[in-house]
Parts: sequence; C-alpha cells; structure tokens
Amino acid sequence: MKTAIKINNLRKEYKDIIAVDDLNLEIYEGELFSLLGVNGAGKTTTIKMLSTLVKPTSGDAYIFDYSILKDEEKIKEIIDISMQETAIARKLTVDENIEFYARLSGQSNEEINESKKRMYEAFGLDKVSNKQASKLSGGWQRKLSIALALISNPKILFLDEPTLGLDVIARRELWKIINELKGKMTIILTTHYMEEAEALSDRIGIMKDGKLLFIGNKEELFKKTNKTNVEDSFIEIVSGGNL
Amino acid sequence: MKESLSRIVTLTKRNIKEILRDPLSLIFTLGMPLFMEILFYLIFHNMTSQFEMKYLAPGIVVFAESFLSLFVGLLIAIDRSTSFLTRLYVSKAKSYEFIFSYALSIIPIVFIQSILFFIVGGIFDTSLFSINMILAILLSLVTSLFYIAIGILLGTLCNEKSIGGVSSIVIAGQSVLSGMWFPLEGLSEGMITIMNVLPFRNATKIIQNTIVGINDTFNDLVLPLIIVLAYTVAAFIIAIVLFRKKMKSI
Repeated sequence: MKTAIKINNLRKEYKDIIAVDDLNLEIYEGELFSLLGVNGAGKTTTIKMLSTLVKPTSGDAYIFDYSILKDEEKIKEIIDISMQETAIARKLTVDENIEFYARLSGQSNEEINESKKRMYEAFGLDKVSNKQASKLSGGWQRKLSIALALISNPKILFLDEPTLGLDVIARRELWKIINELKGKMTIILTTHYMEEAEALSDRIGIMKDGKLLFIGNKEELFKKTNKTNVEDSFIEIVSGGNL
Repeated sequence: MKESLSRIVTLTKRNIKEILRDPLSLIFTLGMPLFMEILFYLIFHNMTSQFEMKYLAPGIVVFAESFLSLFVGLLIAIDRSTSFLTRLYVSKAKSYEFIFSYALSIIPIVFIQSILFFIVGGIFDTSLFSINMILAILLSLVTSLFYIAIGILLGTLCNEKSIGGVSSIVIAGQSVLSGMWFPLEGLSEGMITIMNVLPFRNATKIIQNTIVGINDTFNDLVLPLIIVLAYTVAAFIIAIVLFRKKMKSI
C-alpha cells in the first residue's frame, strides 16, 4: 500500500502544554483513518498541523512526499478540510457557497457547473440549493460543509468531528456519504462517537495527552483490549483499565 | 497575479453579500444616519449653523462611515469564530487577499451612503448640488479607509460578542471628537487641539470644507487629508500584522 501521510516525531507545544508529543504515524492511500481521543488529546492540533494551518514545534510530516514545513503550497493543492465548526458562508445560499469555493479553487465556469452537479447528486443539495446556509438544519449544514471540502477534488480529506451535535438520522445520512467516499480518497476523521469510528474506519489511532497509545484495525483493537466494541476498547486503553 | 486578483474579487463579492443580507447593516449604515440627517435638519437648522445642510450632510456622511467599522469588524469576528477563515486558509488564498477583500467590500457601501446622504441633503438645500458634491463623494471614499482599517483591526482582536461594545467607542469618538453635533466655541483649547490631531474631526473637515468651499487649500484640505491618511496607513499596517499573526496562531 502506498503511503499518503508519514508523520515523523511531530510535536506541538503551547506555553506549558504539550498538545502533540512526538507523534509517529503512517496513513495509507485510500484508507479511512480515525483519530480518537478525549478532549485535549491532540487530535485537532494534529489535523491542523497536517493541513498546514499550524506550524509544529518540531518534527515533520509528509503528505504524498511533500513536507508540511517546506511545501505548504503544494500540500494545499491536494488536501481539504471540514472543520468541527460548520465553516460555511452563512448568508450565502447553498448554490452560492459551492460557487464561492469552486472559484477560490480556481475553477472555470464550466468546472463550477460540473462541481455543482456533482455535489447536488452526491449530497442531495439540489433540494436546498436556493436556501441561505444559515437557515439550513444542522444536518444540511454539515452536508454542505463536507461538500465544500470535496469541491477541489482533494487527495486527502480531513474531517474534524463531522457529525458533532447532529441527531441520529442526520448522523447516519453523513455516515452513508462518508462510506461512499471511502477508497476514492484518503480520509482522516476525528470523532468522539465511538460507534462512528467503528462503522467507518479502516484503521484507528487512539491519542491521549498528545501521545498515540494505539494504532491498528478494529480486530487488533478488540484483541489487544479483550473487548468486543470500540467504545469499551477505547475506555480500556485511555483509562489504563481503571474504568 | 491573475489568480490572486480573481480570489480577491471572489472574496469581495461574498463579503458584500454577507453584509447587505443582514437587515441590521442596512438599518445602521443607511436608515439611521438618513433619519438623523432629516430629523436634525428639520429641528435645528434655524437655530445653529452646525445643522445647516452644507455642514450636516458631510458630517452625516463621515458619521455613517464610522458604523462601517462595526460591520467589517463583525464580519471578520464571525468569520474567525465560525472557523470560516481558518478553513479558507487551507485554500490558496493569502492574508493580504483577505484584507483587501474586506476593505474593497465596504467601498461600494460608502459610495451608496455618500450619494444618498448628499442627494437627500440637496433636496433641502439645492446649493449642495455642485461639482463639489462629486469631489466630496470621492473624498469620502478616502476617509472611509480609516474606518475600514479600524474595523479590520477590531475584527482581528475582538470576538463576535465584544465587537459591538468596542466598536461603539469608535462611533462615540466620531460623534464627540468630530465636532459635528455641537459648536466648538465653548470648548477649551486643549480639547480642540486633541480633536485636531485625531482623525475624526479631520475626516469631517475634509468633506465639510469640500462642500462649503475651500479657501486655504493646505489648511482646509491637504493637512486634514495628511492626518487622516497617516492614521489610515498606521491602522492598516497594525491590522495586517495582527491579522497575519492571529491566523498563524489558530
């Protein structure tokens, strides 16, 4: 399997806090890798460093052989991100949001129309295309947010808590969409929902206090913890067996 | 270069839509100043020269510009708090493109404000309709840059909740220190000196003097323009530095 992301001793310190502590990790092309951890574990900081939004204190990471330290512009051409806050243009309609992001990605008018068609089909956004983004339900806003991240046809997609705060139906709808994306691109997902990681992931990484405590697939996780689901396994690893 | 310009245009269009689709922004940038212009003229124009339309309309034009600090600041603060800006940082867009787009998105609004307030003023005092009005409208675009820079600065430093309170200081500063709402005769020399070295009164003077007629080009126009532009350049430099710094410490 080809390596999509290679992380070498990546570290981020904020004053007295070590947010990410000498992280080493390899993520393969086309896989959906879930990064799990309690609040403050370092998941979002890791994603922000990999997406060149935050500079590491030390270490480096390579996205398809491009260094996050030296090749920021190249990396920006092949990645996109859907943030945990629904980062959309609130007063623009769904259609205008898609056009806005497509134009920012440098697409021509013809390509923009293609992008709209593609996003309408994949996410069913044509039903709400003329609605202002701020007036959409939480579920539709998240769908739009993920759709916007796909406009530039990224090779790597970062999904930071994509279903946070959504009801169970909206969450399942997003799972379906994410499942359909699997294999077409490399996806790095952070989530607090263990059943989400269980349903979607090819491999799982568990972080605590900036350190990676486990990496492997579900079967390996269950075998290591002697449990039968991701939630119990996660608790076992993070609490050190004390819960 | 072409790509950068295209991104600036795209970002600017989006900002204009965001501002104009907020009914509050229309009320504060157009409705309220217009209401004040008409009301203060009708009540006070016979009592004091301060409220004759040739002084009041230019004063209202600059007063309304001070509200733009709030709107550009609010837009940036919301874009930051919703991570919209963070997300755009993953695109190829650069810091200066964001700053340009925020500034450019306000210019058409200033243009509409100035035309509206001068035309309504001209209905009450037809002497306003002259070549000076066109010059004053163009100069209002220059004075607005100061308030836009302050807005970018405040939007970079404040969050969505605090921006209203903090930018009201700018609006209050414009009200009190521009000298447009009261005669300066009763004020101490020290106070007048302060007003003369700050940008608020100078911005108002530029537009008022242009409408009334310039006798001494240096003192009536050039000097106030230099003072306002100096504050504008300083505010823009600080805003750009802080904006870049803030975006790098997400």
